[in-house]
Amino acid sequence: MNDTPKLLVIGLDGVPCTLITDYIEKGYLPNFKKILSGGFRLHQMDASIPDVSSTSWTSFMTGVNPGEHGIFGFMDLRPGSYKIYFPSSKDIQAPTIWDIIGGTVNNRNSALYGKYKTSINNRLRSIVLNIPQTYPAAPMNGILTAGFVCPDLKKGTYPEYVYNYLESIGYLPDVDAAKAAEDSDLFLKEVFSALEKRALAYDYFFDNEPWDLFIGVITETDRLHHFFFDAARDQGHKYHNLFISFYKRIDEIIGRLFTRFMEKTGGRGLFMTMSDHGFTVLRQEVYVNSLLRERGFLKINKQREYFEQIDTGTKAFCMDPARIYVNLEGRFPGGPVSLSGKKDVIKELKNLFASLEDSDGNVVIKSIYDNGEIYQGPSSDKGPDLVCLANDGYDLKGSLKKEHVFGKGQFTGMHTRYDAHCILPGNIEMGSRLHIENLAGIILNYFSKERTWNT
Amino acid sequence: MEHLTILENKSIFIIREAYYRFKDIAMLWSVGKDSTTLLWLCRKAFFGQIPFPVIHIDTTYKFPEMYRFRDEYAKKWGLNLIIGRNEGQVEAAMGPGKGSKLDCCNELKTNALKQTIGKYGFQALLLGIRRDEHGIRAKERVFSPRDENFKWDYENQPAELWDQYKSTAAEDNHFRVHPILHMTELDIWRYIKRENIPMSELYFSKEGKRYRSIGCAPCCSPIESNASSVDEIISELETSNTSERSGRAQDKEDAYTMQKLRSLGYM
Repeated sequence: MNDTPKLLVIGLDGVPCTLITDYIEKGYLPNFKKILSGGFRLHQMDASIPDVSSTSWTSFMTGVNPGEHGIFGFMDLRPGSYKIYFPSSKDIQAPTIWDIIGGTVNNRNSALYGKYKTSINNRLRSIVLNIPQTYPAAPMNGILTAGFVCPDLKKGTYPEYVYNYLESIGYLPDVDAAKAAEDSDLFLKEVFSALEKRALAYDYFFDNEPWDLFIGVITETDRLHHFFFDAARDQGHKYHNLFISFYKRIDEIIGRLFTRFMEKTGGRGLFMTMSDHGFTVLRQEVYVNSLLRERGFLKINKQREYFEQIDTGTKAFCMDPARIYVNLEGRFPGGPVSLSGKKDVIKELKNLFASLEDSDGNVVIKSIYDNGEIYQGPSSDKGPDLVCLANDGYDLKGSLKKEHVFGKGQFTGMHTRYDAHCILPGNIEMGSRLHIENLAGIILNYFSKERTWNT
Repeated sequence: MEHLTILENKSIFIIREAYYRFKDIAMLWSVGKDSTTLLWLCRKAFFGQIPFPVIHIDTTYKFPEMYRFRDEYAKKWGLNLIIGRNEGQVEAAMGPGKGSKLDCCNELKTNALKQTIGKYGFQALLLGIRRDEHGIRAKERVFSPRDENFKWDYENQPAELWDQYKSTAAEDNHFRVHPILHMTELDIWRYIKRENIPMSELYFSKEGKRYRSIGCAPCCSPIESNASSVDEIISELETSNTSERSGRAQDKEDAYTMQKLRSLGYM
């Protein structure tokens, strides 16, 4: 038994609260059931807006909103241009939980850090495995291997001996999702084998490294869901049994880690599982840029590439998943919308989105948020002017290449914002509905000298 | 012996050794500074007349200056020049704008080379790579076996202690031989100066910019530099500490990221 507090977080990318509930009822997840009957509670949790992994995981690890951490998606535009870039860990403006408890905050700041700065023990060691948006790995107190997108495992891992171990076990930073379309059996085989490698690495670090905070994320759930979420509840689906057996395997892995964690801490450690967003069955993809083009908001020059295709006269455009940018004068090259005219464009856009229906007359967009409503902090200005969230079944996309507004590709699952999950000890009272930005505060509170609840 | 002469002797020894070991051998010439230096060394190794073919993998996207340079010196130096192209993909208009940059490289470079090796049945290729170019290349051997998928198993390769080169491996498809592996970027430019080797004009500054590394036009970007002669490049390199391929490395990471995002339905 060890008296120093320890905290274990298992991240399950894209695992919905409703699916866990269903699968527990059906008896597929005996370990989840056991954990929940032992004083833990399953919460349905809201993800970030937009509900995309890079943004939501950054909200998890920093405990602040995108207006403060600065990550609005997997892709963004360089200031004053239509040139795309892929924000990396270096672009995160707020300190992460492990930086705060490990004493490696450097020059970054955030509201959450301000709150815990003086009460936190900052000599704590973390193990951080496979959280998206952590590439390249920055030096920290502990070990880290980056999750999606990780172009180079060596640059994505800190320190180097950890990379050597991961290489030695054939660890996969990510499955090859391109395979799903070509050879789904092979893809599924890779999904299972990547999960096993992760479980192996988690066990190894759990036992062989000192740590206070351990965060291990499984991303294969998200990959499986994107391509085969239709198999989750459809018993006639070719891959239904495989889908269930994947969840059963995750249940075993979590059950084992839970038991070992409780043994290690004499039952006093804080255990948590969580996801960065939920999932539901995708009925139609909705290409927002095609809608904007049809209605004259967007002009395209096909001679160019990516967002540099945006041509003179464009009033608004969309980046994945449904981040809407008004083409403001001075913000983007040739932006024709003046500051005074912005309000009208936003109003027109809101009317357009609110009235969007599919061919059966179903309303597509559930909510439209203004930048000021959802983003607070020094990076808010970098964010989109509007973000749309769709009703279940309609996956909003930012592609510039589609001809029509509605379509369907190979994907059968789509993200949901409202149905992320979190399992927490029952004595942690949240008051209101749980949001992914709350979790970092719970973790810091646990390590704080002024902890407000006991485990 | 002078430093550059030691390097030159070593390279010429490797080139002759490779030619002696492998009947069907060729060298790859990208028209860049390293492979042009290698070409020069091959000419010296065989007294001006290279006894094996010189392959140029043509993606069709090289700079016009590179094509002009290639044709001029192929003629002047009497080279047996083979131009390798993935014709199917060139016809299908593969390019950095179609698909990902990674797909483009894969089709127009790697597969073009595979097809060329397959067509002529080469057992070994001489390449102008250097150990200081990129972290991963530090692990390279002078004689480096590749399997039929071009896979380089860098954790399982023959030791090369005291310059004992291993040039047989029955199960492998072909050998890559690297005669200038031991040279640095600065060695190359000093050797170019000593030997007065002709180089593509792209390396020399025009309007404050020059290319430090050349390849396909859409994927290369020039660096800010006023070095317009070999001497000026040498003095620039003596004081510079940014990586030679810094522009290209970021391109590769971005290409990977783009492919990953696309496979999950983004972009």
